[in-house]
Amino acid sequence: MTPRFFVRCLLLSVFCTVLVPVALGQASRPAQTGEILIRNATVLTVTRGTLPNSDVLIRNGKIAGVGRNLKAGTNARVIDATGKYVLPGIIDCHSHSMLDAINEGSLAVTSMVRVQDALNPTDPDLYRALAGGTTTLNLLHGSANPIGGLNTVVKIRHGRPIDEFIFPGAPPGIKFALGENVKRSNSPNLPGVQRRYPNTRMGVEEVLRDAFARARDYKLSWDEYQKAVGRGEKNLIPPRRDIQLEPLVEILGGKRLVHAHCYRSDEILMLISVANEFGFKIKTFQHALEGYKVAKEIAQHGAGASIFVDNWGYKIEAYDSIPYNAAIMARSGVNVSINSDSDERARRLNTEAAKAMRYGNVSEEEALKMITWNPAWQLGIQNRVGSIEVGKDADLAIWNGHPLSVYSRVDTTFVDGEIFFDRQQDLARREELQKERAQLEQAEPNRPPGAGAAPQAPQRRRRPADETDIWREELEQP
Amino acid sequence: MPGVQLRILAAILALVSLIVPNLGRPARAQRSAISTYAITNARIVTGAGPVIDRGTVVLRDGLIAAAGANVSAPADARVIDGDGLTVYPGLIDASSSLGIPQPTPAASPSPGVPAFAQARQPASGFSAPNSGQPPGLQPELLAEDLIRPGGDAIEGARSAGITTVLTAPREGIWAGQSALINLAGDSSQQMIVKSPVAMHVGFTPLRGVYPGSLLGVFASLRQMLLDAQRYREALQVYERNPRGTRRPEQDRSLAALIPVLEGRIPVVMYVDREREIRRALSLAQEFKLRPIIAGGLEAWKVADLLREQKVPVLLSLNFPRRTAAALPEAEPEPMRILRERVEAPQAAAKLVAAKVRFAFQSGAMTNLNDFRVNAARAVENGLTREDALRAMTIWPAEILGVAAQLGTVEVGKIGNLTVTRGDLLDRNASVAHVFIDGLPVPLRPAPAAAATGIAGGTWRMNANLGAADVAITLILSQEGERLRGSIQGPLGSSDIANGTITPQGSFRFTAPVTLEGQSHEATFAGRISEGQMQGSISIVGRSPGTFTGTRAEAPAPVDGTPSVLSGNWSVTVNLGGQDIPGTLTLNQQGGTVSGVIQTDLATAPFSGGTASGNSFRANSSANIQGQVVDLVIQGQTTGNEISGTIESPLGTATFSGRRQP
Repeated sequence: MTPRFFVRCLLLSVFCTVLVPVALGQASRPAQTGEILIRNATVLTVTRGTLPNSDVLIRNGKIAGVGRNLKAGTNARVIDATGKYVLPGIIDCHSHSMLDAINEGSLAVTSMVRVQDALNPTDPDLYRALAGGTTTLNLLHGSANPIGGLNTVVKIRHGRPIDEFIFPGAPPGIKFALGENVKRSNSPNLPGVQRRYPNTRMGVEEVLRDAFARARDYKLSWDEYQKAVGRGEKNLIPPRRDIQLEPLVEILGGKRLVHAHCYRSDEILMLISVANEFGFKIKTFQHALEGYKVAKEIAQHGAGASIFVDNWGYKIEAYDSIPYNAAIMARSGVNVSINSDSDERARRLNTEAAKAMRYGNVSEEEALKMITWNPAWQLGIQNRVGSIEVGKDADLAIWNGHPLSVYSRVDTTFVDGEIFFDRQQDLARREELQKERAQLEQAEPNRPPGAGAAPQAPQRRRRPADETDIWREELEQP
Repeated sequence: MPGVQLRILAAILALVSLIVPNLGRPARAQRSAISTYAITNARIVTGAGPVIDRGTVVLRDGLIAAAGANVSAPADARVIDGDGLTVYPGLIDASSSLGIPQPTPAASPSPGVPAFAQARQPASGFSAPNSGQPPGLQPELLAEDLIRPGGDAIEGARSAGITTVLTAPREGIWAGQSALINLAGDSSQQMIVKSPVAMHVGFTPLRGVYPGSLLGVFASLRQMLLDAQRYREALQVYERNPRGTRRPEQDRSLAALIPVLEGRIPVVMYVDREREIRRALSLAQEFKLRPIIAGGLEAWKVADLLREQKVPVLLSLNFPRRTAAALPEAEPEPMRILRERVEAPQAAAKLVAAKVRFAFQSGAMTNLNDFRVNAARAVENGLTREDALRAMTIWPAEILGVAAQLGTVEVGKIGNLTVTRGDLLDRNASVAHVFIDGLPVPLRPAPAAAATGIAGGTWRMNANLGAADVAITLILSQEGERLRGSIQGPLGSSDIANGTITPQGSFRFTAPVTLEGQSHEATFAGRISEGQMQGSISIVGRSPGTFTGTRAEAPAPVDGTPSVLSGNWSVTVNLGGQDIPGTLTLNQQGGTVSGVIQTDLATAPFSGGTASGNSFRANSSANIQGQVVDLVIQGQTTGNEISGTIESPLGTATFSGRRQP
């Protein structure tokens, strides 16, 4: 260690102690662009097997080396991971975390809205997801309408500005939805209230076909305009730019991935047929509770399925599912991922994956793939994340035991080589936070006025346990 | 014969405007005939140069004629001895909806129809004539068309030392265009200093229609701006080549956005949190708008960006604070909330340090005395007194483009002065005189002695915030125009804040409510009459809700028998031989009736009317061409037929109509 480096460290630590009380909880982590060497771990690469007693070298946010006895520079931070496991960051292909609004349910086609306009980078659920080893989220619009809003894929760079969250280069996507949520089966039918079309699965199909027919016409009108411009015609007024139809044109051109919420096998087949008619592809069937019945058709279409492992029976269309869904679809050649659709489950997708082994004898590697490489493929980011390979983003977590064990916990979570969760730091900070809280509670604006009536205990925070509730939440928060 | 009809209507309106000013108008009586005033021996904080310890300010013909240590009072001036007083530039509230009446409340809840269904009806709000857009998305709305002079709220603001406000409708996404007004004058025309000043944008979804969420709000803003770009292009093509080009369809909403796109009018965006500010700025950047942030609770966290992009902030002085004690077993409040309350009064000093331009605004606070008190709290939290004063005078004048006319005590500027006993920023200072346009304005005396009033007591409320009804108990005590009390129920229990009530029974208060485990500040606004209350609940970022209430001890309304009055009626109003179509909505609750009569000419809501058998009678008022006219509406029904009269000082109109199916 050179003296200069030592002084720099000293200065940095003084700076940090001064700064931390001011900026607690936010952006207090120094940027880590240097080298980190995780030593002597069991590395679950997902794509290249399990490597015992191996090292992972992180340089400038990327994985620079995987193997035994790796050498790092003198300034590298070395983490002894003896007895521990390294897993790629878990990728959640269906999330509504960090969204200030989930559904635009007023219309049947809301492809003009985008969840990117409603991101909350300070959502505490993000920190909890990091603590469960999750590093990437597919943030989807809710399931209130056949064609929902545009999605955003994010890396959980918790506490940073929104711009830093956006997954660079992730292909754009969109949410579709079929079945009961869309036709509002589970919302009260009130006298005198006009129900939003569609009310049946027939209507859902019609809405989809109508929207794509309009999108085709829309593209045509622009093509004709461009041709006229090319011919040198003067005084042309361009067609109206329609932000509802533009994303649908992108779907027709294969430039936007469709993530379609669905339950029943018949509606899955319906959507495949509509997609074939208009010449586009579905990238993922989300939930697909009856996917096992049409696994071959899904595989043939080239789509993936992003599912719950053992969650069903919460509404009529959710009755005919089985916990072998993941195994059957995987064996039929479908790319299967396991998602959370819940801030709570997003903290423990590792145990969800373990359940897939219990039902249908999915192999350990295949189970791990269902929360890492497979969702990466479903989001078109498999070249960046989803496995531990040289050149990939250093999005990974160190677990204190095998991640498929319910007894294992995450010690440290890295995103682009930066630590965004560290159990030891978290524990160390708690006392400080308690002190800050005590101080804040004494401050004048936080003291209740003299004659304040004592309030009731606040209600427990209610977050959706499944996407049915996301739909109900739309009613409560129109 | 629409042309003839229009002409007759115009004649009626002309007649109305001739008669109405002769009705009792106390405001005018209070304006003085003297046009020159001198405040002598006063300490003068001019805001433009050093403080004058002892000097004279002369106001003549509405302007500041002289100010200085060696100025003497002209012979024709009325002299006010300013010994012990301090003269400041008139205070400016940089964002308000003062002078703009509350939009007509949505049709009152009808018995038999579930509240859920009513919540799905389109949001009420101001509506521009012949707009292609729904209310809430009408950028062509002008505050200057909506302003009503006089009234308690304006008097309250003046009594707090505020002489000038930027006012705009508070509801809506494209809420409309603001006007900068002086708080004195008999007509909106006299009050206006500058109009339009800015386009105002809120991010609160509409109710029951698209856009019904924050997601849709952004999409609809974006689509309308794109449409306006194309409209502008189409108009240009058409102007260059009128022959041979199909004329663009006229669209006043899009036309109103063209100056916004060209940067000729800034856009005031109501946003508080860091992420909301970033979203607003990124939308502004996408369309090269000139943004101004209003609210700005966390603006200091985005200070660098605001400085780089030269975005000013209209910083709210309506600081969040705890309003109720917690039960021992309650979960602790989130750190985020605790920090926010402590950080809010520090924000102004942080913006100064970061060199971000800002001005103070009242942030929809109900008791405007908090304007000065909370500016003083900002001083206690690191802001210099000089900068605090600037943030209420010259800085808003600069940001709103009126620094040549307002903001300092300098010769030639508008004669707006706030005169206090004690330093303006001391909590125990009092406002001694307020001059607007060179004339003194009457100040409201201290609140009257305690009286129970019409609001005091326990109320059973039904609140509807989108889904099911929630029952709330509201305990109120009224002292003059102030309301205190607490709410209890599933939305949490807490003290109410900022409560006020007018002698007519319109009330307003804020209270923290808990929804889905998160705490929100809710504003309740409504009206009490004859033991009934109803109104709306607004929560920033959510669709508005409604509430109704009855006195806990009052007998329950008669239920079970179908009302012969309640319902929607299509009516024709005959005014001076002219038939005007309209609708009448009636809602009978036992012996009382409320509702609204709407025609193209005016909208007249009423409540607390009496109903007996098949007839009813109610008092109302309507804004006809900017004039408020009192009305007495009475009528009777026979089966599905209704008929009656509308009496006003202008004469009596008759109406008749049928029940709408």
